[in-house]
Amino acid sequence: MKTTADAVIIGGGITGCATAFELARNGMKNVVLLEKEYLASGATGRCGAGVRQQFGTRINCLMSKASVELFENLNDYLGFDGDIEFNQGGYLLLAHSEATMAQFAKNVALENSLGIPARLCTPEEAKEIVPHLNTEGLVGASFCAEDGHLNPFKVTQAYAEAAQRLGVEVRKFTEATGLIMEGGRVAGVRTAAGDLATPLVLNATGSHAPLIAKTAGVDLPIIGERHQILVTEPVAPLQKPMVISFQYGVYCQQTPHGSFIMGVGDPHEPKGFDQGHSWDFLHRVAEKIAWLLPPLAGIRIVRQWSGIYDLTEDNQPVLDEAPAGCGHFIAAGFSGHGFMLGPTVGRIMAAKMLGQTPPIDVSALNLGRFARRELVLEPSVV
Amino acid sequence: MSGGPKKYDAIVVGAGPAGLSAAAELGRAGARTLVLDRDTRPGGQLVKQTHKFFGSEKQRAGTRGVEIARLLREEVAALPAVEMWLNSTVLGFYSDRVITVERVKDAPGEERREWLEKVTAPVFVLATGAAERFLPFPNNDLPGIYGAGAAQTLMNVHGVRPGRRVVMVGAGNIGLIVSYQLLQAGVEVAAIVEAAPVIGGYLVHAAKVRRAGVPILTSHTVKEAHGREALEGVTVWRLDEKWQPVPGTEKYIAADVLCLATGLSPLAELLFQAGCQMAYVPELGGHVPVHGEDLETSVPGVFVAGDVSGVEEASAAMVEGHLAGLGAAARLGLVRDLAAVAAGWRAELASLRAGPSGEKIRRGLAKLAGQTAGMAASSPAGSPVSPASAPAASAPAAPPPATSAPKPGKPGRTLSPQLTSTGEPAASELESSLPPADRRRQGPYAVIECFQEIPCDPCHKACRTGAIGPFPDINLTPAYEAAHCNGCALCVAQCPGLACFVVDENYSPSEALLKLPYEFLPLPAAGHTVDLLDRTGALVGSGRVVRVVRSRSKLATPVVWVTVPSEKVGTVRNIRVPATKGGAAE
Ligand SMILES: Cc1cc2nc3c(=O)[nH]c(=O)nc-3n(C[C@H](O)[C@H](O)[C@H](O)COP(=O)(O)OP(=O)(O)OC[C@H]3O[C@@H](n4cnc5c(N)ncnc54)[C@H](O)[C@@H]3O)c2cc1C
Ligand SMILES: Cc1cc2nc3c(=O)[nH]c(=O)nc-3n(C[C@H](O)[C@H](O)[C@H](O)COP(=O)(O)OP(=O)(O)OC[C@H]3O[C@@H](n4cnc5c(N)ncnc54)[C@H](O)[C@@H]3O)c2cc1C
Ligand code: SF4
Ligand code: SF4
Repeated sequence: MKTTADAVIIGGGITGCATAFELARNGMKNVVLLEKEYLASGATGRCGAGVRQQFGTRINCLMSKASVELFENLNDYLGFDGDIEFNQGGYLLLAHSEATMAQFAKNVALENSLGIPARLCTPEEAKEIVPHLNTEGLVGASFCAEDGHLNPFKVTQAYAEAAQRLGVEVRKFTEATGLIMEGGRVAGVRTAAGDLATPLVLNATGSHAPLIAKTAGVDLPIIGERHQILVTEPVAPLQKPMVISFQYGVYCQQTPHGSFIMGVGDPHEPKGFDQGHSWDFLHRVAEKIAWLLPPLAGIRIVRQWSGIYDLTEDNQPVLDEAPAGCGHFIAAGFSGHGFMLGPTVGRIMAAKMLGQTPPIDVSALNLGRFARRELVLEPSVV
Repeated sequence: MSGGPKKYDAIVVGAGPAGLSAAAELGRAGARTLVLDRDTRPGGQLVKQTHKFFGSEKQRAGTRGVEIARLLREEVAALPAVEMWLNSTVLGFYSDRVITVERVKDAPGEERREWLEKVTAPVFVLATGAAERFLPFPNNDLPGIYGAGAAQTLMNVHGVRPGRRVVMVGAGNIGLIVSYQLLQAGVEVAAIVEAAPVIGGYLVHAAKVRRAGVPILTSHTVKEAHGREALEGVTVWRLDEKWQPVPGTEKYIAADVLCLATGLSPLAELLFQAGCQMAYVPELGGHVPVHGEDLETSVPGVFVAGDVSGVEEASAAMVEGHLAGLGAAARLGLVRDLAAVAAGWRAELASLRAGPSGEKIRRGLAKLAGQTAGMAASSPAGSPVSPASAPAASAPAAPPPATSAPKPGKPGRTLSPQLTSTGEPAASELESSLPPADRRRQGPYAVIECFQEIPCDPCHKACRTGAIGPFPDINLTPAYEAAHCNGCALCVAQCPGLACFVVDENYSPSEALLKLPYEFLPLPAAGHTVDLLDRTGALVGSGRVVRVVRSRSKLATPVVWVTVPSEKVGTVRNIRVPATKGGAAE
């Protein structure tokens, strides 16, 4: 087994796998990816897998637009012999208040200026897009037909397989226990199965990122928050777009094989690493969805589970090297929308680690912003 | 819309033999107990088991499964502290110890109603049983391919025949018993296919299906299933010593039903959700909860019982149910001296597992005990979990008195390869079951074709003359002393393995009389001529029915007295009632 690597990626979610692939694609020979469980065992495999370009910040619009372009051709780009199941049925964001509608108007203006084909809808237009939508109390909506959802397991697998074909070594069930620092620089990674010498590390461990960062002496202000989600029995195709309401904190999509996947946010969810579930979630989500999308009331729930949001104060990730020049790169803190950003984040982080200019300027997403109070607040999240 | 959970003292999930036994203990101790089962009738697997059970009298040996279910149900129904919700599926076990239940009201003439209910209690007994395993082979999703238990439910609970011609996969007890019940329902069983080189189920069950003409193909497995809309046939092939299929040995068997009796896996989902420490123990059926002798899991107050704690038998499930119920009641402070109250049940459980047929379970439990380090102290890994009070299989029997008292069967006896691979006893085994020649000429005697050590003893209980002696260990083979036998055939009617016969060689100068157990309809009547079949179901002649004895007890097997040509009395072991004759008397 290798004991040295040019770069070590910690974390086998979308962020780690995409970055590992992009590093190898850009010529890095000796990359090792460490995953403490199996690939996509973290938030990636537990998420709603929605992909939208409708955001309130320029940086999120740019990153998600670039990701959608990649997702559209990802099967070919990665030489995947399966299908990532990208279903571009659109994203319908609902506004149940004038304030939200006003925010949507600002967002759509921004989105259109960046070439994202989103538009504002009246309740009637929203009902045309999703005929079973209950428009009671609806002020309006924002819709982008290019948005959609995909299969997060297949996407992760596609990246990991492509990376392995380019020589990346994927070590599953291998936990990184900390970084080895020498003279303020990364010298290696400790694992339960021995040390691995390397000058470059990507910390892509989602909600666990602060634990790794701490061993490099970095205080990373990310907290874990449980989010619950459920899947129903498969039924005939009924709903093409992802429907999402920021007011009610709910989102709901129908997968290609017919199951609905839906979740609801709750500020009272436990913080930390709890991946359990609660019965009142069932009541909350059922109550809201049955009101918002009435025909779904009769569909049976098959399973519920939970995942952990890696939350930051401004709902934006940290994409940075910290301390600067030390070789410890961080891509974490995605606050519930990191799956859709994955392909672009992979490119950005690979470029940063290779000392190249990233395709999108993400310098605003540096770690120091929290201390300096230069937050990049994203208003449009669940 | 969502109220809080309803509160009980104890919740039992699953109303099979384990859950009902646990509920009985809890109810007797005065705990307000809720029993939940997703089925519309309580009893678990028992409601479809029309055959007589093995085991000892304590676990109602010789009683049919359905009957045991009824007795357990009545016992629980009589306890005012116990409430039962049927048609109620437990969906989830949450971290605050609340469980969610999907309830259904589906009364005829009323609108179907479904709703979610939440309940909680300080103690739980999870007794969800086990699920049938499936096999991977091409076309295994064709209609007509069932789990054997499902086919059994169709027949015995709903009165529906699953098809016309069946191939059974698996010669364990379930495969053998369900095959026999299919035959009883008038379904043809083309073959029993078993991958292992030996029959896994009790050989008395194998002998029963074998003499009805069903071949048992050991060292064989399914290659593929065929059919367009539904199953039309099955290709099987032979396996070599390394369990690899041998090309060129394919056999096509036409069949419209394929039953899989390839094992059970504990239904452990709720245990995982409850956060119980789990271990993978193949001998116990797969993922099972780590637990001690008190049946408490690693989560305090969460007890298990029955197949979900390790796939075993209804007899063990009931005893475990009592122990879990007592343990849970003790947790509630309702049972004082648990050790004393539980001792009898523990000894019972150990004795059930003591014989060779309990070997696998003992091995599995020993493995599990290895995982309990840190939990309640249990037997060290590698040694059987039986407490000292258990009668060891090798315990010497009381010294035989000088007179000809029956000698208990010798433990650890080896069985012939012919018997273990086909279900047909070898000549030497048959020889050993016969009394000495002079005794045979003296009058009727019993022939007991029970060669394997299994936990069973109703033959002794049936015998009033002492010809079948007591079992010092329930796992021994019966000890028969022809000197005391009067040929009454009570053993024939009571043996759940249908392994007892009575022969009277002096019936007439050219004919012997054979008294044999017969469990098919229509029953013949005196005077009818019937076909005589040998131990492989082959036709060897015809005989005349002299009498049909049906005991008043519903539990007894009808005994048919039939004449047999003298020279064939050692060969004939079954009869067939020809389609046109017989039966009219019914
Ligand atoms: C319920 C829910 C719904 C969501 N819905 C959406 C959505 O619709 N759209 C969207 O874009 N995003 C959504 N998200 C967010 C999205 O899932 C995440 O932002 C994204 O998956 C983050 O990917 P990641 O690779 O950075 O982290 P993760 O997928 O969490 O991967 C981190 C990996 O690191 C591993 N790891 C941790 N510590 C170590 C260690 N010490 N050593 C080795 N390995 C380690 C973990 O096992 C894990 O596999 C949702 C999240 C949740 C929980
Ligand atoms: C063909 C056959 C022949 C057998 N012959 C014998 C024999 O001769 N002697 C013998 O001792 N044993 C025999 N057994 C084995 C015996 O039937 C089982 O070992 C025994 O029934 C196990 O009892 P249990 O209570 O653990 O589980 P079960 O009897 O399986 O009962 C479990 C109950 O839990 C319910 N349940 C499961 N999940 C849920 C849920 N989520 N919510 C609500 N309810 C739930 C089920 O509906 C079921 O009623 C035989 C089994 C079979 C299949
Ligand atoms: S035939 Fe009667 S006496 Fe003889 S062994 Fe059987 S029960 Fe006993
Ligand atoms: S002969 Fe006795 S021990 Fe053997 S199966 Fe019959 S009753 Fe059981």
